[in-house]
Amino acid sequence: MAFLGQEEQVREYQDRFKYLYTILFLAVTILLGRLVDLQILRGDKMRQASEDNRIKKVKIAAPRGMIFDRNRRLLVDNRPSFDIEIIPQYLYESKQTDAVMSRLSKILHLSEPEIHEILRKNKSQGAFLPVKIKTDLSRDEVAEIESWKLDMPGVQITEEIQRTNIFGEVASHLLGYIGEITQTEYTALSKDPKNTYKKGDSSGKFGLEQKLEPVLRGQDGEKLLEVDALGRTKLNKNKGRVLDELPEKPAVPGKNLLLTIDQDLQLAAAKAFGDKAGSLVAIDPRNGEILAMVSRPGFDPTVFSRGISNKLWQSLLANEKKPLIDRTIQGQYSPGSTFKVLTAIAGLEEGVIDEHTKFHCPGYIWVGNRKMHCHEKKGHGEVSVVTAITRSCDVFFYRVAQRLKSVDDIAKWARHLGLGRKTGINLAREAKGLIPTEDWKLKTYGEAWNGGETLSVAIGQSYVLTTTLQLANLYASIGNGGTLYQPFMVKEVESFEGQILEQFQPKVVDSAKIGERTRELIMQGLWGVINSPIGTARSQVLPGMDFVGKTGTVQVMAVSADRIYHKCDTYKYKERHHGVFAGFAPATNPVIAVAVIAEHACSGSRGAAPIGRAVVKTYLEKYFPDLYGEKAVAARLKGKPAPTHLTFPTEPVHAVPEDDENEAILPNTDVRPDRRATETDTEVVPPEPPSLTPTGDE
Amino acid sequence: MTYTSMESPMPLDESTSRTGFYDEELRKFNWNLLIIEILLFGVGIWNLISATGVQDKSLGLYKSQLIWFGVGMICTGLIFLLHYSTFSRLAYPIYFANILLLVAVLVLGKSTLGAKRWIGIGALRLQPSEFMKLSMVICLAKYFETDRTVSGYGIRDLLLPTVLVGVPSLLIMAQPDLGTAMIIMLTFGSMMLFVKIRPQTLLIIGLIAALALPAVYKFALKPYQKQRIVSFIDPGSDPKGSGYNSIQSMVAVGSGKILGKGYRKGTQSQLNFLPEHHTDFIFSVFSEEHGFVGGVILITLYLVFLHNGLQVAYQSNDKFALLLCLGIVFIFFWHFAVNIGMVTGLLPIVGVPLPFLSYGGSALITATLGVAVLLNVANKKFMF
Repeated sequence: MAFLGQEEQVREYQDRFKYLYTILFLAVTILLGRLVDLQILRGDKMRQASEDNRIKKVKIAAPRGMIFDRNRRLLVDNRPSFDIEIIPQYLYESKQTDAVMSRLSKILHLSEPEIHEILRKNKSQGAFLPVKIKTDLSRDEVAEIESWKLDMPGVQITEEIQRTNIFGEVASHLLGYIGEITQTEYTALSKDPKNTYKKGDSSGKFGLEQKLEPVLRGQDGEKLLEVDALGRTKLNKNKGRVLDELPEKPAVPGKNLLLTIDQDLQLAAAKAFGDKAGSLVAIDPRNGEILAMVSRPGFDPTVFSRGISNKLWQSLLANEKKPLIDRTIQGQYSPGSTFKVLTAIAGLEEGVIDEHTKFHCPGYIWVGNRKMHCHEKKGHGEVSVVTAITRSCDVFFYRVAQRLKSVDDIAKWARHLGLGRKTGINLAREAKGLIPTEDWKLKTYGEAWNGGETLSVAIGQSYVLTTTLQLANLYASIGNGGTLYQPFMVKEVESFEGQILEQFQPKVVDSAKIGERTRELIMQGLWGVINSPIGTARSQVLPGMDFVGKTGTVQVMAVSADRIYHKCDTYKYKERHHGVFAGFAPATNPVIAVAVIAEHACSGSRGAAPIGRAVVKTYLEKYFPDLYGEKAVAARLKGKPAPTHLTFPTEPVHAVPEDDENEAILPNTDVRPDRRATETDTEVVPPEPPSLTPTGDE
Repeated sequence: MTYTSMESPMPLDESTSRTGFYDEELRKFNWNLLIIEILLFGVGIWNLISATGVQDKSLGLYKSQLIWFGVGMICTGLIFLLHYSTFSRLAYPIYFANILLLVAVLVLGKSTLGAKRWIGIGALRLQPSEFMKLSMVICLAKYFETDRTVSGYGIRDLLLPTVLVGVPSLLIMAQPDLGTAMIIMLTFGSMMLFVKIRPQTLLIIGLIAALALPAVYKFALKPYQKQRIVSFIDPGSDPKGSGYNSIQSMVAVGSGKILGKGYRKGTQSQLNFLPEHHTDFIFSVFSEEHGFVGGVILITLYLVFLHNGLQVAYQSNDKFALLLCLGIVFIFFWHFAVNIGMVTGLLPIVGVPLPFLSYGGSALITATLGVAVLLNVANKKFMF
């Protein structure tokens, strides 16, 4: 083996460069030869092949699953919407620009300069790129353009599927909306190897559309379309059809949903709300099926499906009534007097009161040196637990609270009946509500529980927060004897051909062991609220239907002492009390439970109860016509006095105003002001605006 | 004889001599190479504007390409501050750092079209496999610099280089990025042949390769990779499937005929018949729109570019510099030959970009770094 010095070896290497040049020239010769072959020898053939290049891959958008109510009434559908586009290259090449323009301007009611302006604005993109001239064409426009199609080169109509909510605002929050996937979502999705989303695809953003995205979304298909060199779909002379498709992969539509919701109840609720803000939830106490779920004000999800304009989006965000919040599950409110049934259950079951216990209500109570008011300034006199519920006597429940060992006794029953925890409904963004305990306060504020606070909790004030859904579920559970169901609203998932794929069964999550006698007493109290002459909501009676419930009025802002007995209507909107109502029907073996929050409606009996009443009435008449239809009720009530299947105790009564407005007066002042505001405290985070600017390289 | 200040001989002026130094530096600078690089990139960006004017994922990407080239030019300037012998000293640290990055890609990497090729650093996406080509060439140049064998290398001498190249190749194949792995192996093979291998050794390697190939085809290749080979042999076997890309690309090139269809008027690319037209099939876009004339001009530009690179290697007066430059020229050559061969249907479709023309940040920066090293060697070969 010989060894050489560096310089000699470099020289030796330099000698070998001749081989390198040989190889380089050889390679270049081969490549140039190939170009000669393809571009010159076979050039004409290749040019023809490119002109004939008809096979174009086109995506077939899969329709999303449809959504039906419990009676198969269509709620959400996919409807085609047509856009018109121009491919500038074809238009200019055709040398018929002027003729096409004048025709288009007539059909579309746009002036020629306007169309030219749209084209000019998009000039920076390639001339083969279609430019959208007008979206959402009318049927007439589409028909006319189609008939002139061959005389308008470069003009094409594209079909887009528009997710359409047939009832617009009604059930907007529940059904939700879809929108183009954002960059963030796309990045997250592309981590999954099975991801089938592409940029520009839509996905559910809110409500059921979001939560059941994998069910509702279909699988896009792909087809091979024959197009001519000018990009127009070829006319097939044999069949006289415009399209000559070579189907490759058909689209698989998404699965359909059959809900437990009844659209008639939704509509009845929406009508009863009028322009009030608030929410209503109606549940079947026998199984936890949600019958109605309405949050007001709503929005029209349809405008989201093809990209909501920034202006509209901003106006939705800026609206002081916050239409984008789902008040049924996101809004947390003080339940006010509707909570008193829980205090009554706790008192009776813990044995600190019984049916014979009576307290005297002089209209206030002294706790240490502080005077806590009853909403009835004059007082209720001697009251038992039944009367206390019926007349919503605060003092009675203060006294119960004083007898209870601690606030935890109330919390225990509240928890068993579904408060202070998520109901587990299949929707994102559900709020938990809040049921305070001694431990909770120590952990949250580092302070020991103050006995006086229990009194406020007893009447549903202080820290207590519930959602409308929880409240409805609470009353459903009281109505059915203590069984707590997980509320649900999807009854069935079906394939697009109508085959049932999945059925949802009721699910019991908890069971409160409420004694038989306790139940009866509570029921008597709730019955009296609506059906007795001293009830706080006696105007809401549904004759023959045994509609029972409890009203509540919740103060939103601390009102100075000199104004507390002022009329609520004189306050500014934002300072008015919330009206709350929860109840069910009929009193025994109820088939519907309902909870309503009417924001700033001043009173539970006048603001919230009528909305619940409308829904209950609609439901009973529709589903039980033999029992509750107009004729049936009339026949039953004929010649009979008001139904008294529940014995109602008679006690001395002074003149009682029905008005329960003063219930809202906050009984004490040691409640933290920040907890007092019961405004919906969940903020809506605006979705990220769609941006598809690529970052970095390939 | 008296000396007046007027008559006194010119004193050695510090500033004049500095100016002279820079003049010298500038005179030695290989302007040809830099100008051709910029010309190629210019043609590339002009072409990319056409290719990315199509409404798909690539819209407007040429802007990022411009930024990458700017970054590449800054790197070129920075590298010019060093002497190329620094690369010899840092060969192994650079190599191992790059290996670590490749492992990181496999562990943390983000995937595009089912392959993990890049890692994200903030908004940046790095493709370490691109940089690996340079790291490997530096390493090999260093290895052979210290070796004095002239009668040809045997199996034992090739063991370490094979491992040095084999490890990153396997890591890159696992991504899987067959194209880059192939370029690395082609470059390695070319360098080995250049430094001379004993004939009998060559024969043994050839035999092993011949025996291993069917096994590799059967076990190591993914189904889509096999499909590409099948459709290369018979593109008509499945014109709408895997042969689609190859056929559409050949039609694009051929339909350009002599003068081309005109700038931004290539129906094949503009109507999306041509896949990946901003990356691997960029040459087809160019040929379709500028025809045979354009193709000849572009290939000539590459030829001049490679010739200049070879000249730098030829004129360098130490072994390390010569092999380093040669390796870089090999990388460019194989990219050029394989890419154009592939899009004209001479070779199977493997993902190999065309330097300076294909879109891709890491690839573009690697290319500018390669030229930067050539420029450095051309300029500093006399400074020891």
